Amino acid sequence: MSTAAKMIQGTPVLGKMFKVNGNDDLASINAWPSLIIMTSFVWLAIALLLGVSMPIIQYFGLNIFLFEFYTALTLHGAAMTFPFAFSLMVGVSLHRAGACMGKKADGPLVVLYYIFMNIGGLLFTLSVLAGFKITYTVMFPLPVVGAQMGVWPMWSVVLGFTGIALILVSMIILYPIQILQMIFWGKKHDELELSPRTLNDPGMLGMLIAVLVLLVSGLPLIVTASSVLLYLYGIFPAAWIGWAVTPVVFQFVFYIFAHNLMESMAIMIVSAVYGTLPLYLADGTRKLYSDKLANAALWILLITSVTSFFHHFYTMFPALPSTFSFHGNVMSWGTGIGGAFTIFTILATIWKHGLRPEPGVMMILAGFVIYCLDGVTAMIIGNVAMSYHLHGTLWVGGHAMTVLLAMSLMWMGVLYHHYPVLTNRNPDADKCRQSYRMYFIGGVGMMYTFMAGGAMGIPRRISNWVESGYMGIGVFILIFGLILSYGISMFFVTLSKSREITT
Amino acid sequence: MRDFIYEDGWGAFVVLLFFHIPFLIFFCRIVYKKAFVNTGPSGTAPEKYPKIEIMWISTVAVLFILVNVLSVVYMPPVSTAALTKSGTPFQEVDITAKSWYYDMSSREVEVGVPVKFSAKSGDTVHGFSVYHPDGRIVFTMMLMPGMESPTTLVHTFEEPGEYKVRCLEYCGIVHHAMQDLLVVR
Ligand SMILES: [Cu+2]
Repeated sequence: MSTAAKMIQGTPVLGKMFKVNGNDDLASINAWPSLIIMTSFVWLAIALLLGVSMPIIQYFGLNIFLFEFYTALTLHGAAMTFPFAFSLMVGVSLHRAGACMGKKADGPLVVLYYIFMNIGGLLFTLSVLAGFKITYTVMFPLPVVGAQMGVWPMWSVVLGFTGIALILVSMIILYPIQILQMIFWGKKHDELELSPRTLNDPGMLGMLIAVLVLLVSGLPLIVTASSVLLYLYGIFPAAWIGWAVTPVVFQFVFYIFAHNLMESMAIMIVSAVYGTLPLYLADGTRKLYSDKLANAALWILLITSVTSFFHHFYTMFPALPSTFSFHGNVMSWGTGIGGAFTIFTILATIWKHGLRPEPGVMMILAGFVIYCLDGVTAMIIGNVAMSYHLHGTLWVGGHAMTVLLAMSLMWMGVLYHHYPVLTNRNPDADKCRQSYRMYFIGGVGMMYTFMAGGAMGIPRRISNWVESGYMGIGVFILIFGLILSYGISMFFVTLSKSREITT
Repeated sequence: MRDFIYEDGWGAFVVLLFFHIPFLIFFCRIVYKKAFVNTGPSGTAPEKYPKIEIMWISTVAVLFILVNVLSVVYMPPVSTAALTKSGTPFQEVDITAKSWYYDMSSREVEVGVPVKFSAKSGDTVHGFSVYHPDGRIVFTMMLMPGMESPTTLVHTFEEPGEYKVRCLEYCGIVHHAMQDLLVVR
């Protein structure tokens, strides 16, 4: 039995939900993906607890251990984005890639991914507990400035950067290379090829585009961040890294990656939707309305998204020349055209062939609706004029949160679809329906609450809601946060109530 | 109306709903109909699809272009550049932001006369955001340390009052308290 299967078995509670048969033919596409997914849900539980605690921390002015606002904020954002949302995607997509191409998903790169992502997450958590409160966007040069001002110890910066570096390597190098290897080089095993697909298939094309985006947009950050890290370790002299610690250099390479990370995750999930939706068509067609249109949407998303990252810097004119602002504006709205293509493809497919409303596919569609709603919020802050009233408010934080919630819900739907093969058990359909309904209400409610907060001018990342008269919004965040948490816990129940498939 | 859309956070919220509501109605109706009412093949003739496709994409494209083209004159970089070139006299306020306070060359400006704000950061990334006395954001600026030229914006205040200044870029554990006041007379 593989190490991964043993680790799952040894895990209390969650182990039961993700138990795989570690000895059968499919173990090599099931065991590690299942472990990665299971661990991502542990991080989700932590992120959820911290998220719900934030309005409570604000209201009572708490300052105990994890329950201090900026600690909770930093850990919530980091846990939600990297070891949860990204890892959930990695786990499900590895299984998907394996089953579509008949390739193993348990090589050294997968193992290293798992170790780097989770140890990285742990190290970063420890550094935050030691005082390193920088939010999940790092806000460079804040890490160094904070240490110089004595706000947090220098060793926490070293620890935090080590964690960040491990996470970055796992996302930018290990995972993309693993997928590329599965697409192009790995040895094919016929017994693993459960639903064969080629690169002409939008479901596979999107996966390829997504990992290439990660690799290409992330490499500059790997070079920059590792230079800083090697300096922190005392290996590089200060003279070598002057360029890397220039705030504008670090910020730009950071956002070129961070922005495209989200875009690549979006392309990846859209392609998974393209791959999964046809399997639930009522007339048994098993084909999208048009593969061409679907692929066109992916290409448009790719081309427009890569350089739309300028929208993170509109409000620093003229340091960001207006040419780049306008370019960012046009490209940001261009992603909307890609989105419109996707919406058309999905609706035309459903309209033409009818839909079997199984919980998995409905969950995916619920996530897709949130994803489209969020896309509009993104385009609005992607407009230069509107950005000058909204940048740095809850609107922006709400957009980041909502896109992650949307993608995660879609991945949970895709997981529901793959779960029987993954674990040889059928998940509980009724609980799943409850789960996505509550998740949808909670997620959409949170989105509108954050957008309203942004419209009101509430700054994001401030710990004095009560004093500033913003607690009303906090109450709504708490209410919808609890509904969302209920929806997510119902998903745990969906999996824990699964029943063995007997043939 | 356009002033409201492009100069007020709630205007942006209205634009949001303008796109959201038709989408939600459209999407949910189709899914509901084809998943729960009648999953049988739909009667739409195959040659009709490309027409609907073109209609849908062009509607979206026109809306997108409209929203963006109409916004151009409201873009602060555009109005700032125009005013700087026009030779209109303006007041100047120079700002240096540091953790967690502002050094400002002046905290009082005149109503109706353009003010040129030039802001720099002395340590980490900060924001310089001016709030109208009614609570909405008049404008926000992002200040990146180490830049040669300051972040610049020209704004003409139409109403006197006390305008709150806040940092909107997370800058550490006292970020929330990084506030100041600008008086418009
Ligand atoms: Cu600040």
